[in-house]
Amino acid sequence: MNTLLEVKDLCKTYRKQTGWFSQRSVIALENISFTLSEGKTLAIVGETGSGKSTLAKLLVGIEKPDSGDILLAGQHVKISHYRQYNHVIRFIFQDAAKSLNPHQKIGQMLDDVLRFSTVLDPQQRKLKIRQTLKQLGLLDEHSEYYPHMFSGGQLQRVALARALILDPKLLILDEALTALDPSLRAQIVNLLLELQQKSGLAYLLITNHLRLVRHIADDLLVLHQGKALDYGNTAHVFAHAEHDYSRKLINSAIT
Amino acid sequence: MLLLDIKNLTIELKTPDGLIRAVDRVNLSLREGETRGLVGESGSGKSLIAKAIVGVLNKRWLVNADRFNWCGQDLLRLPYDQQRKVIGRDIAMIYQEPSRSLDPTAAILEQLEEAIPDHLLEGPWWKRAYMRRRKVIGLLHKVGVRDHQAVLQSYPYQLSEGVCQKIMIAMAIAKAPKLLIADEPTTALESTTQAQLFRLLASFNQLKGTSVLLISHELESIARYTQSLSVLYCGQLVEAGETASIIKHPYHPYTHALIKSVPEFQPNLQPKTPLYALPGSIPVLQHLPIGCRLGPRCPNARKECVKTPTLERLQNHYYSCHFPLTGKKDV
Repeated sequence: MNTLLEVKDLCKTYRKQTGWFSQRSVIALENISFTLSEGKTLAIVGETGSGKSTLAKLLVGIEKPDSGDILLAGQHVKISHYRQYNHVIRFIFQDAAKSLNPHQKIGQMLDDVLRFSTVLDPQQRKLKIRQTLKQLGLLDEHSEYYPHMFSGGQLQRVALARALILDPKLLILDEALTALDPSLRAQIVNLLLELQQKSGLAYLLITNHLRLVRHIADDLLVLHQGKALDYGNTAHVFAHAEHDYSRKLINSAIT
Repeated sequence: MLLLDIKNLTIELKTPDGLIRAVDRVNLSLREGETRGLVGESGSGKSLIAKAIVGVLNKRWLVNADRFNWCGQDLLRLPYDQQRKVIGRDIAMIYQEPSRSLDPTAAILEQLEEAIPDHLLEGPWWKRAYMRRRKVIGLLHKVGVRDHQAVLQSYPYQLSEGVCQKIMIAMAIAKAPKLLIADEPTTALESTTQAQLFRLLASFNQLKGTSVLLISHELESIARYTQSLSVLYCGQLVEAGETASIIKHPYHPYTHALIKSVPEFQPNLQPKTPLYALPGSIPVLQHLPIGCRLGPRCPNARKECVKTPTLERLQNHYYSCHFPLTGKKDV
């Protein structure tokens, strides 16, 4: 299996000016390392403030790491390459309803994505949009719809369409499954699993939902206050967590 | 004795296009000291039912019921003042999103002091303020906030969601209610805090005999802490009964799907295999299907399903389906 993403000793500190000369620094991430292969799912769990979201932001290039390397298929990733590698890593936000522009039709929104990062001509773009919508179980007419016309589950599909239209290799889901209703969540999970099997997509799942993690994730990384506590195969970590905190977290979800 | 006994509760919304029935003839009963779970997806009307019980729905909603008894008194037929008095005395509710339900302009101490009714304070009047303060601190300790000094002086935005939720609970139990309604108490919380919170609610139930109505869309977390369960779909009650028996043997296809879609209840399920999911999505209120509202999504829907099924009873297990999954073949 090819290694897709490799993260080495990633650190991030936020500095806050508290006075004229005094600063307070908050360590958000400290020496995080992990690898993610093609077609695998890595789940990152931890409480709020553990640095989960910071990690996601670093990976997509919203924030710059202080030190450490992000290697994508063996190549270093830098913020200046953002345009180049946003094909490869796509991000899905927590609330689909809030992350889509209410003024734009779905087709327009997907077209913008393609216009910004591909060299396709209008005809090809249209075809691509149609293919992507079909892949996600949406209809052609849906490209004429505005976000408010969709139900919650469909919106999540639209958000997925926006992420998948560039044929990425890695999808980062930041709590994207938490807010969904159980039956919808099952639908989306099935869709994600199917896509993974078909196209070898890798997922980075950031979540609080440990029961779901056990089902869909291959590897598990437990973060606590910016430090990686346990990292390994999901089943292994669930069975023999090394740190007290991860054990507590796992127990609270299972028993 | 039945604490709460609701029969055929119907809640309708007045719109320019006529009435929309958001909750359709739901029965709900609660014994003293019982914990009941109310499960349903968003839009299934569970919060509406809770709000109808505490009587905080605004005038746009029409609430009707054949019976709406609280300790033998029909709340809907009481004069307004008296209704407020009874509800204010006996029922407390924990709302969704605590940080939004708390007053952002007042410190926690003020808000908690306000929640304590006078008749619970003993002693002469000049000691009242002191007693009140002591009681507030006691309440905070009860809900598991140790550092009361810092919390009392803070404003809601300065506290984490979990602490806010605990304060909401402290406010709710301040008047020693007979019924505690918790509306999605854990949506915003992390799993460790969630477990803590459920244990807290369970301890009030056991120590004080407070009945708890736990509302949530997460079946798995509710199943662990409740004795009985009511499952709602789109404003219709699909199944009600004891939690253990429902989880073990659901009769309604919706409950069945709900249970099967949770990996936790499927110990034999291999990781990374597809989950069981009903096709389609929840209908919006403006376009509700007639008859059984699950109809269009139900795997074993037949012609009869355009008529609303009545609530059938099998021992202590209620369900409303023409073709229940009882195992035996009828029709």
